[in-house]
Amino acid sequence: MSMILYHGEPNGPSLTALAMVGETGLDVDCRPIALLRGERHTIPGLTEPLARDMGLEGEGPVLVVDGEAMTESVFLAQYMDEMAGNALQPKDAYAHWQMMMWCRRITERCAPAAAFLGNKAFASPVLAAMADAEFDAAIAPIVSGDLKQRWIETRADSMTEAAVGNAMADSTTKLTAAVQMVEDQLADGREWLMGDVSIADIETYGWLAGAEALVPGVWDNRPRAAAWAARVRSRPSVAAALARATVAQPETAWAPGPEINRWG
Amino acid sequence: MSDITLYHWEPNANSGKPMLALMEKGVAFDSHYIDMLNFDQHKPEYLAINPQGTIPAMTHDTPAGRRVLVESTAIMEYVNEAFDGPALMPDNAADRWRIRWWMKFMDQWLAPSFSMFGWKYFVGPNALKAHGEAKIRAQIEAIPLPERRTAWNKAVFGLFSDAEMAESGRRIAVGIQMLEAELAKREWLASDTYSLADVNGFNLAYAMPLSQPHLANDELTPNIMRWLRAIYRRPATRACWKLGRTPMASRVEILETDYIAQKAESEGLYQLGQLGEKA
Ligand SMILES: N[C@@H](CCC(=O)N[C@@H](CS)C(=O)NCC(=O)O)C(=O)O
Repeated sequence: MSMILYHGEPNGPSLTALAMVGETGLDVDCRPIALLRGERHTIPGLTEPLARDMGLEGEGPVLVVDGEAMTESVFLAQYMDEMAGNALQPKDAYAHWQMMMWCRRITERCAPAAAFLGNKAFASPVLAAMADAEFDAAIAPIVSGDLKQRWIETRADSMTEAAVGNAMADSTTKLTAAVQMVEDQLADGREWLMGDVSIADIETYGWLAGAEALVPGVWDNRPRAAAWAARVRSRPSVAAALARATVAQPETAWAPGPEINRWG
Repeated sequence: MSDITLYHWEPNANSGKPMLALMEKGVAFDSHYIDMLNFDQHKPEYLAINPQGTIPAMTHDTPAGRRVLVESTAIMEYVNEAFDGPALMPDNAADRWRIRWWMKFMDQWLAPSFSMFGWKYFVGPNALKAHGEAKIRAQIEAIPLPERRTAWNKAVFGLFSDAEMAESGRRIAVGIQMLEAELAKREWLASDTYSLADVNGFNLAYAMPLSQPHLANDELTPNIMRWLRAIYRRPATRACWKLGRTPMASRVEILETDYIAQKAESEGLYQLGQLGEKA
């Protein structure tokens, strides 16, 4: 069985997946792709493309195992962990539930916010500078109608100024809340979010690695969270993932991500 | 008295997921019915259990203390891991990945689109009729979660935009095609054995032949129909749907019909609107 991980720059969900390769020591062939050129949608040799096409994480990493595209960074992390002996998930059912609930708060609230802010700041200018033909070619193979729409909106803002302002404010609140959640969780002196190091640390760090550029000063009065971020960053797995960057500041590499909850 | 209490509404959508998982597992539990249309979920007794005011929630009393669990899919995973009984997650890691992927897809993309129709045509109008505008405005004010407040406002006062409804309609059509294609590949939704993905999916899909008769029926989606009928035949499903108290749950009996032909979309909307009438 061969495993190929197609990933963007080490930031967001691609950072999580790359770090999990290091954490688990699995033999994974890691192949960088240019997310903002649409390369995720032309990965060769997929016999089961559904999860790539319809996954909710947006332009996240794709792990290909026996031709099947696998997506969603939390579930990729669980898969790799379970293939390697289950060291990064609590054995106790209740502790496991707590870890999954934590990851849900990250993927449902923090991730869409970080992706919105990150794309506005860093992906929009790149896409706006693309010629129409080049952009159209990049998005032509995207199967999901709503993901394609997020690309179009990232390039040429169709939202009103007021709507953009609201979304920026809401996303700033949610991203700040995620850092505060880390700060609060560590109040009892624990080193890692769930006690022992777990998938929650890796997933959370992935989405928060670029937070400073999006909400300047967000770590400043949150010393426990800041120290935790430094601890995650210095894990050999995370350091190795970051060393795969092909740009100077991978934490500013964003591509259209998960959508903001349609119900409000 | 059991160590486990499940707070739930009808066997349907989010409430039905942990109900059916517990029944499949053979775990005895105290059932605590929360009448969602009567706003039981916002009453102080329930907010003491789940301050978010959403259902379902489950309590599990253990020697280490009382555990309070929320979030329907996460509760199902807990139930599967914490108790003896038939495994509802397979041993193969790739199968488990696929089950989680489908559950997230259904929970976050497909189910909210279905429920937008349910809330617009059934929940909103019926709650308004039952309580009157003044009382319902006060009820909505008291909802703890801003997302749920928005949902109630839109449903009760008919504020879903055409664009929102069109997008939900698009997603329902895409999602039904995806389910049909997946169920053409194997007997169960995401693996070769009955799993949490099937429990989850049945709760989402059991009434589709009534509510979406233009998209889900024996003509267009034979694999979905085969799968729904197979799950309906399971003793746990029968027992679970008996806990329903309104016509919502009795919709499941449509699966006793051997052949369901395609019908117009308007027929489905009519069926949704009728739900409250019969109650
Ligand atoms: N993601 C949660 C959603 C829970 C939820 O929002 N449930 C709805 C009913 S399906 C609810 O409690 N509504 C009550 C209300 O809006 O007042 C889950 O799956 O458990």
